Amino acid sequence: MTGALAPIVEGRDLAFAFRPQHPVLRGVDLAVWPGELVVLLGTNGSGKTTLLRLLSGALTPDRGAVLVGGRPVGAWRRGDLARRVAVLPQHLELPAGFRVAEVVEMGRTPHSRSLFGATDGDEAAVERALREADASTLAHRSVDELSGGERQRVLVAMALAQEPELLLLDEPTLHLDLAHQLGLLRTVRRLCQGGLAAVAVLHDLALARLADRVAVLDDGRIRAVGPPADVLTPELVEGVFGVPMSLARDASGADHLVLTQR
Amino acid sequence: MRATATAPTTAALRPLVGGPSVTRTAGVLGGGALLVLAALVVAVGLGTSELAGPWDAAAILAHRMGLPVPVTWSPGAEQIVWELRLPRAVTALVVGGGLATAGVVFQALLRNPLADPYVIGTAAGASLGAVAGLMIPTLVPALAVGVGTAWLGIGLAQVMAFVGGLGSVLLVYAVARSGGRVPVVTLLLVGYAISSVLAAATALLMFFSGNRLGAIFGWLMGSLGGASWSDLALATPLVVVAGAVLLLRWRRLNLLLLGDGPAANLGLDVEREKLLLTGLATLATSAAVAVAGTIGFVGLVVPHLLRLALGPDHRLLLPASALGGAALLALADTGARLAGGVPVGIVTALLGAPFFLVLLRRTRAIGR
Amino acid sequence: MASRVPRVPRVFLAPLVAALLAACQPAATGTATPASTTSSASSSALAAVYPLTLTDDAGNEVTLAADPQRIVSLAPSNTEIVCAVGACDELVGVTDFDDYPPQIADVEDVVVGAQVDVEKVVAAEPDLVLAAGNGLTPDDVIAQMDDLGLTVMVLYPETIDEIYADIQLVGAAVDESAAATAEVERMRGEIAAIGGAVAGADAPRVFYEVSIFEGQIYTAGADSFLASMIALAGGDPITGDAVTTSIGQEELVAADPQVILLGDAAYDPSITPASVAARPGWAEVAAVADERVVVMAEDLVITRPGPRITEGLAALARAIHPEAFTD
Repeated sequence: MTGALAPIVEGRDLAFAFRPQHPVLRGVDLAVWPGELVVLLGTNGSGKTTLLRLLSGALTPDRGAVLVGGRPVGAWRRGDLARRVAVLPQHLELPAGFRVAEVVEMGRTPHSRSLFGATDGDEAAVERALREADASTLAHRSVDELSGGERQRVLVAMALAQEPELLLLDEPTLHLDLAHQLGLLRTVRRLCQGGLAAVAVLHDLALARLADRVAVLDDGRIRAVGPPADVLTPELVEGVFGVPMSLARDASGADHLVLTQR
Repeated sequence: MRATATAPTTAALRPLVGGPSVTRTAGVLGGGALLVLAALVVAVGLGTSELAGPWDAAAILAHRMGLPVPVTWSPGAEQIVWELRLPRAVTALVVGGGLATAGVVFQALLRNPLADPYVIGTAAGASLGAVAGLMIPTLVPALAVGVGTAWLGIGLAQVMAFVGGLGSVLLVYAVARSGGRVPVVTLLLVGYAISSVLAAATALLMFFSGNRLGAIFGWLMGSLGGASWSDLALATPLVVVAGAVLLLRWRRLNLLLLGDGPAANLGLDVEREKLLLTGLATLATSAAVAVAGTIGFVGLVVPHLLRLALGPDHRLLLPASALGGAALLALADTGARLAGGVPVGIVTALLGAPFFLVLLRRTRAIGR
Repeated sequence: MASRVPRVPRVFLAPLVAALLAACQPAATGTATPASTTSSASSSALAAVYPLTLTDDAGNEVTLAADPQRIVSLAPSNTEIVCAVGACDELVGVTDFDDYPPQIADVEDVVVGAQVDVEKVVAAEPDLVLAAGNGLTPDDVIAQMDDLGLTVMVLYPETIDEIYADIQLVGAAVDESAAATAEVERMRGEIAAIGGAVAGADAPRVFYEVSIFEGQIYTAGADSFLASMIALAGGDPITGDAVTTSIGQEELVAADPQVILLGDAAYDPSITPASVAARPGWAEVAAVADERVVVMAEDLVITRPGPRITEGLAALARAIHPEAFTD
């Protein structure tokens, strides 16, 4: 389904440095099409978060360009962009005193058409987002009482309430238990089948196999991009992460990367 | 995914999954409005002279509103109620409401619980302006004749306080701005530094103020003593318009609580919004300060108390604070008048601070 | 203030009023001449004719519709002037600072803690309000009372001549010009007598301590009323800054006062000649060495610009030139 449509987001030759002489990205090309989940992998400091922030328009590249829906990301009006692109940042302090549903409702801001309340559409979207993030039971809790994992689910619900075309997730599985990690990735995959495009930064190579494509960042460049089975070879992982890996076949006949014990 | 494209777009006021219910909103705001009305009645009914008691005051107000009430009071009583107590009470409402609203905005904007309407330079700038205005007759004797009723019936000190408050915040904002951004911490620090310079200049002027020191001190403490309909006519539109626009921006204030980045991701033009909110809140504050001096505590405590009671959602917090601040200041000023004309700022601090402390300790005990 | 001309009440009749009066009262003949009253007044002097327009010390023309019967005084000196011209009974509002004459003790205080309670002023229903100038009654309060339609007259005497003029002004306002003239004559006589007593004597350098706070010393400002009083009492005043009235400690010691007068000792019993001598650096001052440090219990009448300024001046003269007053 990638061939026929135009990419929802496209980064071309992106270079970026916070300080001169210390480039974080040295020329990255990445396009994401509607309906696909792309997972970004790489070591700490390899530029994954920076790439996400460039794609969302939060940072402006030193070189190259980001196009959202074919238009330069900076040319969008902020509200129009926010209706298309949602971001789940790595760190977000939930403002004290709010209830979960109130925070999730903030995700509706770009769509808001009501002066003091919310429309039926907003309400339905909030309820749907809470359900999809497995946070419905938290709706009336205060955000101050949430565990780390519950908070993360609330943040996901907030991003989903935005009903974007592109979802940028920076380590969305942080703080989540195994079941919720898997649940979140499956939810995103399901939404992608409905036309959403998603880019997620992950560290878990096993979860990364749920992606349509993975892109491996190394030293400011994309080392490899493609279907997980093609990209995540023991040689590449060992080369990028510096840890010895090998393939092991499970009972069903599928191959898995495992850490080589020496 | 584009469900909203077909969703009804009517701005129906209805209970939300997240927001306060209609009954709660109506209860809180209706109660607040009643409180304001009660404060107004008390403020107009009580005073230091026995010429105009509460019943006279009520009858005079009714008479002025065109009701057929037999005139049983003296002309002096009518003057006291209509030209002294009423403009002063209404000024207290406007000033209190304006300061509390601005306090809510600055606390959200700066994400700092210690923020009040004065924190980024308004108070220091307005004080310097007012003190200079009070002293110009001393420093430039040629201007001495008729100063005090100088311009449009508004005192020089008022005009200069307004200009000083607005000007110092613009200066703070300009200095704090770098690369098109105004980081919150920088804004606070620059505000502190510039306030210190302005405060030193004010102290220097006060040192040379001679027999104006009393007037200056009264102004700095905050007082509604000089309230008149003409002062009110200038301050009220500024406070009301700024307050109304701020009220409509509740959603953006909520978003700013998430932080600049997340707010931007939700479509907010963060820097533009911060400038706009700062400008509006400063406008309301400067107008309030111009007529009443730097009355402390209302802008800090009222937003806090109501946030503890009602939660942080600005949809309810903003109008509730406006009402609460208005009622509180009208009552405090009545107390100040009855206590022999002490500056109302002293009353708000004396009563507000201990009450605030008790409440803080109680909520903390519950929270843990 | 040398350019100030002693004020003569300007009696002014609006032409219309004059025409009306001319029709009813045969005695009213001119537009600018006070008309003699046809009724038998207790005073033999010409009675004032109302409406009466006078110019106050702020330069404003104040028009009195009738002889004031209810007067509010916003400063103790104003109160004393009103009583000195014999209108004490007409006072309906004074300040909490008022202490003289004793019969005003029962009059309502409309100024409390230096704050004018405008509501109480209005409630007193005055037909004349006597305010103080130069910010002592705040400008905005004066403006507020004007707006309320009160008749406000600002008194701000800065010299003894101006005290005379203000006594005459108040006398004219309340139709007691004869009493005012008599009071001014009394004062002139007493002051002339004091001047005569100290005339010819060497003028010692006099430091008058108004207050001392945190090492900051306040005294008579340059060209101030207090400085002129000291000069009249036969002293050579050591003055401070014209605006702040403060003087530096080194400057004071260098000026080497021969007489030190402790005005603040009238209110603070801890300030005594002994405590002054104990201040670091003061022991060498001539006044301390010669034991000419004097407590001025009369500070109130020295600094209050009213009729009793003669008492203040006498006290000053006795302190500066005790040799001239052997009685």
